[in-house]
Amino acid sequence: MSDFILHWLINAPVSSAPLLLACLGLIVTARAGVLNLGVEGIMATSAFFGAMTVLNGGGLVPAVLVAVSMGALLSALFGTATVVFKTNQVLTGLIIAALGLGISGVLGQKYAHRPIQGFDGLDMGPLTGIPWIGPIVFGQDALIYVTAVLVLAVWWGIHRSATGLRLRAVGENPATADSAGYNVTLYRLGAVVLGGALCGLAGAYLSLAAGQVWVEHMVAGRGWIAIALAIFARWKPFPAVLGALIFGGTEALIPRVQALGGDLPFYLLLMLPYLLTLAVLVFPYIFISGWRDEAPAGLMQNYVREERH
Amino acid sequence: MLDRIYLVSRQRVPGWLSVLTLAMGLVSGIMISTLILMLGGVAFEDIVNEFVVFVFLDEGGLAQALTTFIPLALVGLAAAAAIKLNFWNIGVEGQMWFGAMAATGVAIYDIGPDSVRLPLMFLAAAAAGTAWISVPALLKLRYGINEIITTLLLTYVAALIVQNLLFGIWRDPGSGFPASPRYDPHFEQLSKLGWGNLYSGIWIALGTGLLWFWIMHISRFGFFMSAIGKNPKAARSAGLPVARTVFGAAVLSGGLAGVAGLTIVAGQEYRLTIHIADGYTFSSIVIAFVARFHPLGILVAALMIAGLHTSGDTLKVFYQLPSGMVTVLESIILLSILIADFFARYHIGVRRLSSAG
Repeated sequence: MSDFILHWLINAPVSSAPLLLACLGLIVTARAGVLNLGVEGIMATSAFFGAMTVLNGGGLVPAVLVAVSMGALLSALFGTATVVFKTNQVLTGLIIAALGLGISGVLGQKYAHRPIQGFDGLDMGPLTGIPWIGPIVFGQDALIYVTAVLVLAVWWGIHRSATGLRLRAVGENPATADSAGYNVTLYRLGAVVLGGALCGLAGAYLSLAAGQVWVEHMVAGRGWIAIALAIFARWKPFPAVLGALIFGGTEALIPRVQALGGDLPFYLLLMLPYLLTLAVLVFPYIFISGWRDEAPAGLMQNYVREERH
Repeated sequence: MLDRIYLVSRQRVPGWLSVLTLAMGLVSGIMISTLILMLGGVAFEDIVNEFVVFVFLDEGGLAQALTTFIPLALVGLAAAAAIKLNFWNIGVEGQMWFGAMAATGVAIYDIGPDSVRLPLMFLAAAAAGTAWISVPALLKLRYGINEIITTLLLTYVAALIVQNLLFGIWRDPGSGFPASPRYDPHFEQLSKLGWGNLYSGIWIALGTGLLWFWIMHISRFGFFMSAIGKNPKAARSAGLPVARTVFGAAVLSGGLAGVAGLTIVAGQEYRLTIHIADGYTFSSIVIAFVARFHPLGILVAALMIAGLHTSGDTLKVFYQLPSGMVTVLESIILLSILIADFFARYHIGVRRLSSAG
């Protein structure tokens, strides 16, 4: 039993990291007043491009960079449409989601099911040797530690830096930010591209670290779960860590419970992450009085300077 | 230079401009799509042959396109009914799964007398789709919970319920695949019309198109929908039953998607299999927006998308074109139309240098 718990705790961060990275990307984007529903497709495309780079002998670090750039590129397309051409954010996000899934499906046929030598757990010598704490805290793969640093960076960037303050102003009230002399278009485009890069890293994590293989449909709804997580975390980085750990923990539990045997129906077990997401979205409204969605006031509102009041 | 550009939103978009931008969007989307297919190694004359000549000018191709059109028209109407009121039903596939499951349940357990089996399957499918969408609809109306996420997550749940059944108690022992037993050919299958694979579901699709026209342009419910869709606050102040209308439109949407699921299992597959609903959610949205929610337009757009799917299937065989290609083309065409619409909504002006200073 203690083996069961140890392996579960070691694997929980691996399941949590892609959700957390995508969630961070969504938070950065949403804080500027843009909701990018294309995450699912961005993750799919980045997961594929990361895997493709490694399978063509490109090495792991270039693979991550390629995946991150693809995320930024797809998001730049989304940003151009919504921020410059004022298209509907929800609809454009859905298009990007479909486009990203389509692109990975079209290009990916030759690369599916080929094992990847990806990011494995690090060995930090005596630190990793500490019973229990060692393998859980000091034995994770390199990208987990990158994710931890990124949480701090996003938090500091949004809540402590001057640029973050302006970014939030653009998200809450673009007309006022514009009057104060900040370029709403540039802030929004920048946030969209940066957020997309983070979602790209989330995709890269799936194929290069968690799965170490690329298969079509491997994102399996994680992009949508990340959106639910961002709502649950009220668009703040630290609550997002908590949410991602709850989800990752549950997901990491599924194959282990299944390995234990028993009569639990397999497909019903697979429903758990989706049902848990729904529960997390719904329960606060029922059990916490006064719970509201605290999305930035300008979220999903396209800004046209000539239409400000 | 960029500083000198300014936008003026048009109070009223003239009809000709609206048509022109739609046409420009379509044309540029189709041009980019053609380019992508040519980069994928498909010869230009084959693209024209497959997408135009075969689908719309060849008798067999047209029959195939019309067969594909049936569920697409129904899901297009389903998407339009809900999104018209800003209720983003991104769970069309989930409601199709429930419709197909309910119809299959009625068929394989032989519920009711043989003579009314098909009508019962129809009602069960509509009711199941309605029931599945009422969960997110109630959560949205009661708590304001974002329906995009809930409808979408429930789709994954619905698909897993179907898999649980097809790999479990509903598995046809005579088949090596996860599929339900076949429906009875006399009482449980929609009849063929004798033209290719076209079946009587076409009447359901066309009838629903007419019904949608009646709802939107004649009925009081449609008037409420238009008013609430344009400005919910004003509609509420005017005393319109906003919550009830939104709920009504949502369940109408779910019911239609359920019926779309029924047409596939009872008219095309004659059994429940694990991929029948794949990809319909996005197609439904493309159809609704290309048609700009217009009833006749939805039927035309559904036929266009059906042509795209039909020829995509042919190209898949001859060119080993991956199945994701159709989705890529759909997204490019819709994105192109959306961006073109910008030029209808806004007048773009450039300030002279002297006045810019």
